[in-house]
Amino acid sequence: MASIVIMPKQGLMMTEGTITAWLKKEGEEIAAGTPLFEMETDKLTITMDAEVSGTLLKIIHPAGDVVPITQPIAIVGTPGEDISALLGGVAPVPAAEAPAPAAEVPAPAAAPAPAAAPTELPASASLVIMPKQGLMMTEGTIINWLVKEGEQVSAGKPLFEMETDKLTITMDAEVSGTMLKIIHPEGDVVPITEPIAIVGEAGTDVSGFAGGAAPAAAPAAPVPAAAPAAAPAAPVAVPARDPNAKIWASPRARLHAEENGVDLAYVPATGPDDYIIDRDVMGYIANKPAVTPLAANIAKTQGIDLSGVTGTGANGKITTADLPGTAPAAVAASSATPAADTAPAAEAPAGQLTRGTHTEKMSGMRKAISKNMLASKSTNAQTNHRMVVDMTAAIALRKQYKDLGIKISYNDIIVRACAKALQDMPIVNASVDGSNIVYHDYVNVGTAVSVPGGLIVPVIKDADIIGLSGIAAKSAELIEKARDGKLTDADYHGGTFTVSSLGMFDLDDFVAIINPPESAILAVGKIAKTPVVVTNDEGEDEIVIKSMCALCLSYDHRIIDGAEAAKFLQKVKSYLQNPVLLI
Amino acid sequence: MANMTYAQAVRKVIQEEMRRDDKVFVMGEDVEKLGGVFGTTRDLYKEFGTDRIRNTPISESAIVGAAVGAASAGMRPVAELMYWDFAFVAADQIFNQMCKTRYVFGGNAKLPIVLRSQQGTGRGNAATHSQSLETIFMHIPGVKVACPSTPAEAAGLLRTAIRDDNPVCFFEHKALYITKGEVPDDPEFMIPFGKADIKREGSDVTIVTNLLYVSRALEAAEELAKEGISAEVIDPRTLVPFDYDTVTESVKKTGRLVVVHEAHQNCGWGAQVIAEVSKRAFRYLDAAPIHLGAKPCPLPFNPGLEAAVIPSVKEIVDACKATMYR
Amino acid sequence: MIDKKTGLWIYNKMNEIRDFEETAWTLFTENKLRGSVHLYTGEEAVAASVCAQLTDEDLIASTHRGHGHCIAKGAELDRALAELMGKATGYCKGRSGSMHIADFTKGNLGANAIVGGGIPIATGGALALKMQNKPNVAVAFFGDGASNQGTFHESINMAAVWKLPCIYVVENNQFGMTVPVWQSTSVEDISVRGAAYGIPGETVDGNDVVAVYEAFARAKERALKGEGPSIIECKTYRWRGHWTGDPEVYRTREEVEDWKQNKDPIKRFRDYLTKHKLATKKELDEIDAAAAEKMAKAVEFAMNSPEPDPAHVLDDVFYEG
Repeated sequence: MASIVIMPKQGLMMTEGTITAWLKKEGEEIAAGTPLFEMETDKLTITMDAEVSGTLLKIIHPAGDVVPITQPIAIVGTPGEDISALLGGVAPVPAAEAPAPAAEVPAPAAAPAPAAAPTELPASASLVIMPKQGLMMTEGTIINWLVKEGEQVSAGKPLFEMETDKLTITMDAEVSGTMLKIIHPEGDVVPITEPIAIVGEAGTDVSGFAGGAAPAAAPAAPVPAAAPAAAPAAPVAVPARDPNAKIWASPRARLHAEENGVDLAYVPATGPDDYIIDRDVMGYIANKPAVTPLAANIAKTQGIDLSGVTGTGANGKITTADLPGTAPAAVAASSATPAADTAPAAEAPAGQLTRGTHTEKMSGMRKAISKNMLASKSTNAQTNHRMVVDMTAAIALRKQYKDLGIKISYNDIIVRACAKALQDMPIVNASVDGSNIVYHDYVNVGTAVSVPGGLIVPVIKDADIIGLSGIAAKSAELIEKARDGKLTDADYHGGTFTVSSLGMFDLDDFVAIINPPESAILAVGKIAKTPVVVTNDEGEDEIVIKSMCALCLSYDHRIIDGAEAAKFLQKVKSYLQNPVLLI
Repeated sequence: MANMTYAQAVRKVIQEEMRRDDKVFVMGEDVEKLGGVFGTTRDLYKEFGTDRIRNTPISESAIVGAAVGAASAGMRPVAELMYWDFAFVAADQIFNQMCKTRYVFGGNAKLPIVLRSQQGTGRGNAATHSQSLETIFMHIPGVKVACPSTPAEAAGLLRTAIRDDNPVCFFEHKALYITKGEVPDDPEFMIPFGKADIKREGSDVTIVTNLLYVSRALEAAEELAKEGISAEVIDPRTLVPFDYDTVTESVKKTGRLVVVHEAHQNCGWGAQVIAEVSKRAFRYLDAAPIHLGAKPCPLPFNPGLEAAVIPSVKEIVDACKATMYR
Repeated sequence: MIDKKTGLWIYNKMNEIRDFEETAWTLFTENKLRGSVHLYTGEEAVAASVCAQLTDEDLIASTHRGHGHCIAKGAELDRALAELMGKATGYCKGRSGSMHIADFTKGNLGANAIVGGGIPIATGGALALKMQNKPNVAVAFFGDGASNQGTFHESINMAAVWKLPCIYVVENNQFGMTVPVWQSTSVEDISVRGAAYGIPGETVDGNDVVAVYEAFARAKERALKGEGPSIIECKTYRWRGHWTGDPEVYRTREEVEDWKQNKDPIKRFRDYLTKHKLATKKELDEIDAAAAEKMAKAVEFAMNSPEPDPAHVLDDVFYEG
């Protein structure tokens, strides 16, 4: 079975390497642990040893080539073997036996350095190791072998279940073959990278394999691609430390990280006791690839280290297309991703029907919403005012537009009214920045749009200038893009105020959470025909039916006083009840 | 420009200001024939007479009190205390009278007083003649505090002090009197209070210091440069008012702050600077600021012992490197 | 000799001071005044007789018991009381209270809450007068207690050496707070200390306007002739405790009553004025009434004056002109 030799990542900052010399020619025999090629990175020159023994079947990249990390550079196998599939396949997908020389996990935990492998394991058998799942995992407990010794193992099919300190996971097989030996039975607690089973051709004698220390076993072991973190083609998150643990960094390091969008979890520290200091951040920034804001954002929410990502955009800029999970290569490799994303159902509590819970990882969007909403609640002095508005005139206006063939929603009219009121009252359109109040000369009104899996707030820019029909056109465009998932970064940034309408869900009224850094949000309930007491021309009170709508303004009391918020609502009301002012 | 010593610069300005304004006069111990212990008023009595270059009894309280009274009544005394250590003899007149008079009398009093003296180590004067006391005068409101480190600053700051309508404590350093430098001839040459001077520009670490330690900090900066560390040396020149802006801007640039002074480290003015600058530039700091000053014991006589108490150039170098985690 | 005009001036000032001090006492007991208030009641003859011979160009330095000097040197009762009450209209904008009160425009270098603190300042004032060749004098008022401070000795020595036009007026009111003079002071008459510095020293009855007046006139003449300073010790008595609230454990009620009944300086001077036909009883009654009315207005003014604005609390630490 042929294996692919890839450009190994050496060092956290390495994105590509230059092959300076092949020490073996095509057709020559190579032995695991002996020098195979020399390469150069931006930092060092290094001789790389072969990971497997066999014949060098094909040199994909000759000396002089600059190759991004994890890309195949050669194929090793048995003479005469058909390697066309490998050559024709999606480039950076190494076969199971492909050496993954520590590229993905340069952290100290990644002990299995490309070293000699004094194994007695026959070539026709491979090891299954305890895979590292999650950054802090040091050992796992085997819960259940799903394939018994002698049974058939199929690549991509469940092989065993294990438990870490955080979760329970079903691991898929990486290779097909026969389960030759289960080294660690159920219940064993096994350190990561230790062999736990041997899979190979039926009848292979594996009695000579004694188990041995992890590093010795690692080279021959199938890379546990069941672990998405180890999927070789996908540039993976390589935090320098546990991102959940407290990160110690100097104020200046934090400042520069924040200014440059650097996640400190990824920055190796050179200060004492893993203290991140300025030079660490500045060094990280200096070596960091250029990236689009959107890609940076996605990478941040999904915990992807961009230093491992090759940019294909202009001037090598990383775009969303380069991110794992979107690149075709990565998709092909992420066969076992679900195992990590959805943990199996936990057992039901005793005495209950067999229903339990199941845990799903938050999507990037959910994480972002979660973070923003919590930030809003914890940083703003939120309170709210409620006011009921007569929409009769607005309804009439909408009908007039409709008669002219222009489609205007109530939401558009409300956005327009708000934009006018925001012009009148700049404080409601302002943001808090530390101890400063930032007044925006422009009025950008976001409208909350519910999309599958969450909520997004596309922004109607210059809502105070573009007029009612402009708002309507832009709003329709944004809603469509939102539902199709085509919103760009620019579409949902820069808002200064938000309107959220949930009237379609039959809500009479509701309170919304401010969308920071905005300072106010208007929650719009349904328009309902309501008996209202009015004074008629004769001065008599009478009950008439009117189309009323409840508006609830949540505002940040830090900068907006109660009276100002009330005045703002009055203005919105006045515009809505006299919509001629909106045209 | 003229090349002269720090002591000559002080004398030149006193002379010029006495010529310019007959309300200016000098009083102090041994200021007349001797011209002060360091010659800062040498021979001035010949030009101005012994009324205006006035020897006093060894009565520090009466000297300062008389300065307060004379200033309140329209004169502009330049009173000399010989050693700043002797200020403690006149502490009530300085801190309870001079510092508070204007304020407690509702801003009706004007006290154009310069209280001059010298301080510091370097001459084997031991415990009660070698202290660096400027911090104490920074602590009590009501007096401005100037600390020149060069002949030109001695001239420019002293003229500003004499023309100021407030009490100014003027801290000269005994070891600086013989240092030479260019001093502008201009009899109007003044250095404004509250304006720090960047003695050396740098990008890695900010050293704030005054008086004798300016030259030591510059020496340290040279050493650091050999190791590839670029130190910025700032002399605030006046402690009251203090130019926090310049120091803050520097620290925003360098991210590191070392304050060193000959005054005792414990509660020394460097602590105040670090507190204020840490507040203003906290997010820019890459390391905890370091504060160096004299160790907590009276200044001993023996030169080796004396040197052991006050910060060395090496200590400054090491402190700077420590802020760089080196 | 005291002429009629001067006599009436002194009598009026003594009355104003007495009314002021007793009003301050009342206001304090009514909790309308706070802080340390040291009253001058009983000692009025000293301040009034000395200041009757001073112009606004002459200087004085006063003490913690300084209301009398302040008023005698020309301060108005209303602004002085406003200062005692810490009001914005007070002479010192409410910053000084009783112990640092001064009207600087009247040549008052300030009351001084440090015992002996004002003595070198008056000396410096005299130095300025001499250097500016002004035909004026400086007066240091201080008590028996201050004569044991270093500043007393340093200053008088300095003034004697420099022949400064400074007159050191000791108000010996028998007690340094609670300690009687005999227990704290090496000499019976503090004026004899002048001999140590080669200057005249004279002890007079401090409750006798004429005696104080004449002794000061002699000292002033000497000063203006360039012959240097003098010490005048005025033996007097404070009717009130050292401070409002003093339990007065150090003296007897009889002793205090004796001073009030038999040695009241105002009563004595009133008798002197009528006896020497310098004033009629009616004239003096009118002065009494006028002083009382002025005091009543001062109370109204002070009570109705605004509190100082804390926004200006940092003003005037330095002269910014």
